[in-house]
Amino acid sequence: MSAGGSRGGFLLDRLVTATALLLGVTLISFTLTVHFGPDPTWEQLGRNPTPEQIEQVRQALGQDRGFLPRYADFLLRLARLDLGHALASGEPVVDLLARAIPVSLLLLAPGFLIGIVLALALAMVAAWRPRGFVDRLCTIVSATGMSLSLVIIVIALQAVFAVWLDWFPARGWRVHDLASYLRHVTVPSLGLIVAGLGYNLRFFRSVFRNVLHDPPVRTARAYGFGDGRIAIRYVLRAAAPPILTRILVAVPLIVISGSLIIEKHFGIPGIGMVTWNAMMSGDQPVMMAVVSLSSVLFVLALSVTDLLTGLLDPKVRGA
Amino acid sequence: MTAPVTLRRRLAGLDRLPVALMAVFLAAAAGVWCGLWGTDWSTISGTLREPPSPEHWLGTNRLGQDILERLLAGTATAFEVGLLVAVASVALGAALGGLAGFHAGRRIDTLLTWVIGTIDAIPFYLFVAAIAFAMRGWPGAMQLAMILSFWTLTARLVRTESMRLREREFIAAARASGSTNRRILLRHILPNLAPLLLVQASLAFVAAVKAEVVLSFLGIGLQDSISWGIMIAEASQEILAGHFTNFIAASLALFVLVLSINSLSDGLQERLDPRVRRTPTERLA
Amino acid sequence: MFFKGLWIPIARPAVLALVSIAVIGCGRGETDAETAQKVYRHAIDGAPASLDPAHADNVYAATLVKNLFDTLYRYKYLSRPYELVPNLAEDFPEVSEDGRVYRIRLREGARFADDPAFPGGLGRAVTAADVVYSLKRHFMSETRSRGGWLWRDRIVGLESDATIRSADQSVAGLAAIDERTVRIELTEPYPQFTHTLAMALSAVVPREAVEYYGREFGVHPVGSGPFVLNRFDEAMAVLEANPGFDRGPVDLAAEGFDPQRHAGYDLEPIDGKPYPLVDRIEVHFISEPSARWTSFASDGGVDVVMVPPELAERVLESRSPLRFKPAIRERYRTLHGLEAGFVYHGFNMANPEIGHSADPVRDRKNRALRCAMRDAFDWSARNEAFYHGLGRVFPGAIPPVLAAYDPPFDDDSVTHRPRQARQRLQSAGWTADTLPPMIYGLEASIQQRQMFEQFRAWMQEAGFPPGHFQPRSFAGFGEYSRAIGQRELDFFLLGWTLSYPDAQYSLQLFYGPNAAPGANSVNYDNPEFDRLFERASTLPAGPERTALYRRLNRMIIEDCVIIGSLSRTRLYLWRPDVRMFPDREMVGGYFLRFVDVVEDRP
Repeated sequence: MSAGGSRGGFLLDRLVTATALLLGVTLISFTLTVHFGPDPTWEQLGRNPTPEQIEQVRQALGQDRGFLPRYADFLLRLARLDLGHALASGEPVVDLLARAIPVSLLLLAPGFLIGIVLALALAMVAAWRPRGFVDRLCTIVSATGMSLSLVIIVIALQAVFAVWLDWFPARGWRVHDLASYLRHVTVPSLGLIVAGLGYNLRFFRSVFRNVLHDPPVRTARAYGFGDGRIAIRYVLRAAAPPILTRILVAVPLIVISGSLIIEKHFGIPGIGMVTWNAMMSGDQPVMMAVVSLSSVLFVLALSVTDLLTGLLDPKVRGA
Repeated sequence: MTAPVTLRRRLAGLDRLPVALMAVFLAAAAGVWCGLWGTDWSTISGTLREPPSPEHWLGTNRLGQDILERLLAGTATAFEVGLLVAVASVALGAALGGLAGFHAGRRIDTLLTWVIGTIDAIPFYLFVAAIAFAMRGWPGAMQLAMILSFWTLTARLVRTESMRLREREFIAAARASGSTNRRILLRHILPNLAPLLLVQASLAFVAAVKAEVVLSFLGIGLQDSISWGIMIAEASQEILAGHFTNFIAASLALFVLVLSINSLSDGLQERLDPRVRRTPTERLA
Repeated sequence: MFFKGLWIPIARPAVLALVSIAVIGCGRGETDAETAQKVYRHAIDGAPASLDPAHADNVYAATLVKNLFDTLYRYKYLSRPYELVPNLAEDFPEVSEDGRVYRIRLREGARFADDPAFPGGLGRAVTAADVVYSLKRHFMSETRSRGGWLWRDRIVGLESDATIRSADQSVAGLAAIDERTVRIELTEPYPQFTHTLAMALSAVVPREAVEYYGREFGVHPVGSGPFVLNRFDEAMAVLEANPGFDRGPVDLAAEGFDPQRHAGYDLEPIDGKPYPLVDRIEVHFISEPSARWTSFASDGGVDVVMVPPELAERVLESRSPLRFKPAIRERYRTLHGLEAGFVYHGFNMANPEIGHSADPVRDRKNRALRCAMRDAFDWSARNEAFYHGLGRVFPGAIPPVLAAYDPPFDDDSVTHRPRQARQRLQSAGWTADTLPPMIYGLEASIQQRQMFEQFRAWMQEAGFPPGHFQPRSFAGFGEYSRAIGQRELDFFLLGWTLSYPDAQYSLQLFYGPNAAPGANSVNYDNPEFDRLFERASTLPAGPERTALYRRLNRMIIEDCVIIGSLSRTRLYLWRPDVRMFPDREMVGGYFLRFVDVVEDRP
């Protein structure tokens, strides 16, 4: 099979999977949020509504229409990338996402990246010398980290760093330059690092351990190549596919829901907070946009993972 | 067919400390189930915010309820939620994963793979909140949501595993000797999967207990009940005023329980297959 | 080797993306605004969804709407009890002899802020036609008005089934006589009408902007108020002084300044200065009480805090009389006062098992049940646990903040009497087996869950079997109101905030025709009450009306329709370099235009 053919086949295959996935996600979410979900009508009413007004609002929101026409309508709009308007404010959902997503990315990127790099470095050292000091430390850190709930971490960090020590703002997001950004992002990032470190450390260490058992690495170590060279040239490369998969698949979850608790607790207007408010008030256009977006991201992440795995693994490459 | 025996032998050598801790937690929960303690978690038995005393070992909360009673009752809740979600999600995952793996490449496999992918692509909180809404005040809404969301992880593993087993000789032999599919599944495949399922169940247990805390914190947790998550959520409003007992009691209990189960499950995995270690599900870290 | 080839293609776009995100995220038009001299950081306990005046029926939206838009009337900054004063109107309305025809003249020089919605982007003068349009649009279905009920059936041409299809459709009772005069004809006297013209719902909007922005008007407000909107999201709104706003200087004496009552607030320096006095106001939306405190207590946080009851202990020296600690008084300025509203528990009177029954025997029996629950309810414990004992418990639905408040004629209805509760149940023939089970509705918050546990404990003490009250929690207020509106709940907790200082506004909660889904959530149906309420509604203020109001209040107490009520005490602290009197009750956010900060503030 020629390289071009296989690539085309891969893309087509991906496209079919992606479409099927998107349909599945929207169907389930639409059924749950729109069909069984909270009736947004009552959120839109004044303090003394009459039955006629309620009927009017229901009609305006399309609540009186059947499931299928509404779902079809939603799909058609989605295909045209028309996400509609938020029910409560009337703001176009696209604008809403465009202002909320950058906030979430800015908020989460440092904690996510530092957490990964820190875990990679520690895991490498730990795997390099099993039962050494760092390895033991990692065991304790990962066991502790995995047993802590993000909720507890966030409450405790805020109390310590923002209230008692008063080093950082306790909440909010008034970011206008680098200094203010760093002030606001530090405590949430710490929370993310602490919450994720345990899981990452453990995963990376076991991946590295497996790789270090591989014959080429053993040979290289036996030949006395420099540690740094082996670590970077062989181990990191050989371990790249599972690590990249893990990171990439985590991205959509982080972007959409990982930030919910942090944003809610620290009062940061990112996508997590937007989603949460929409959920509580039954703002269907916003919810459906978030769900659709996250499934698209998810599919993208999986596809990129496949591509990278293909690029990295000579066996898959040659095939 | 030797799996159960091996499993028993493998379980025998687990670490003492986590086992002991688990026993303490289980005893606490059992006491609640037998009505020995923890039944008065809702009763207002003292005045507001009493410090620890012989009557109230951990003091009372803002209503005058005994914090220890609530902690104990919360332990029982943690086990109820954890066990139910673990058993149900693993059973569901095993059944559907096994079905898919056994019929790999056929239409039912495609369908199930699609369902699994779909559920994994929906943001967890959105999914749970949506189910909670759809179930409108039904007391089991939260557990159902967790089960419907957690089973996919087990299903993926079981699917892969049973695809591998399907090709092994003893299955072929069984098939040659005229066993039905159902018989093969029950007598040959399932026992071989038991260790994997046990590990998955322990991970699901931990995930459920931790998820309960998050969901209660968000206000979409259990309905009319007491749990550690509810205690932590209550505490989050009073920490600044200098009332820590609720927070420390519940977080510590949660921490120790999760730590014990994690280390038990680690020990288990090491004995099962030292090379393959699974990382606990962290969708809810 | 391979390694280089692998990482560069991944790393470069990733770095680029991060940098570009950082640039976009950081350059959000705030840098220039930050150089503004006078910034005041306000905090409110919830976020508004829409800033369209037609949706502003809650205090959060009203706080912003009253500053971005203008209403015909407003309340004086400092006078208590509340006093109306012309705002966008030039003077008080001329009312005809029979109280049905209002003529209102607009002030000269009021202009809408510049906005792309206007030709050339330049704002224009506010005219009488704008006032007419702003009221009329409440009756157009695309507005999805939350305030139409205030004027429906009240203004001629807006009778119950009337809808307005186009903004050009004329309404008999609403007319712009000339550029600056509005004539409004009412179906019957409505003494509270002028008050409704001070509510955020009645704020004046330009038709061009409403049509230009369509559904997005709620996030692109264009008005003639003292401020314009700079930023608005889930966490905060940023308002900037509207350069085109000119109402002349502040006249402190006319606003009700009393050197004694307002001593120590350092308000004198604002007298004679044009307002608004600050360049920029940040309104932070912080719903968690402890987070509000945290932000206030940390450097660079908000300038004002409504102290959560959990933390009252930290700031108060004594509760009665209420006095702040000396250390707090040294560091901050302080204010305390009762809210213009109340919380209460209501029964669903439409449920024949517990409420009105056609069978007079059962009706009496049900009343005994409700009254027994009321006896078993311990308001002082509720007050102690959730309001730090600072709430004011009062019988019925006329809160102490109103002139018609009945000084405790009889505290019986808010006194904890578990023994009397048992006796009542017994003598009415209720036993554990016959007591009808009830669905207790609550919003899924920690506090409401705790309130339920407290309530259940009291009821068990009075003899209700455990499990008798089935809690049903709702994740959002919309769902909760739906359940109440559709009469699914038997017993529920509600709050009611007054929009104008008149008992009519709280007694309408029991008026038969307002039954659910309307404001009469308890579905009280008493023809005698309705008749007297209708009579009181057209009466001008005076002893006759007050007597009627009190009689109505006693009727709902007599019938055990609600368990209540309690008005919360608000405790405010703010930084001493802010000059203000941040009372948001009734006045909503009107005080923001009079807020000043000292010049050399860090």
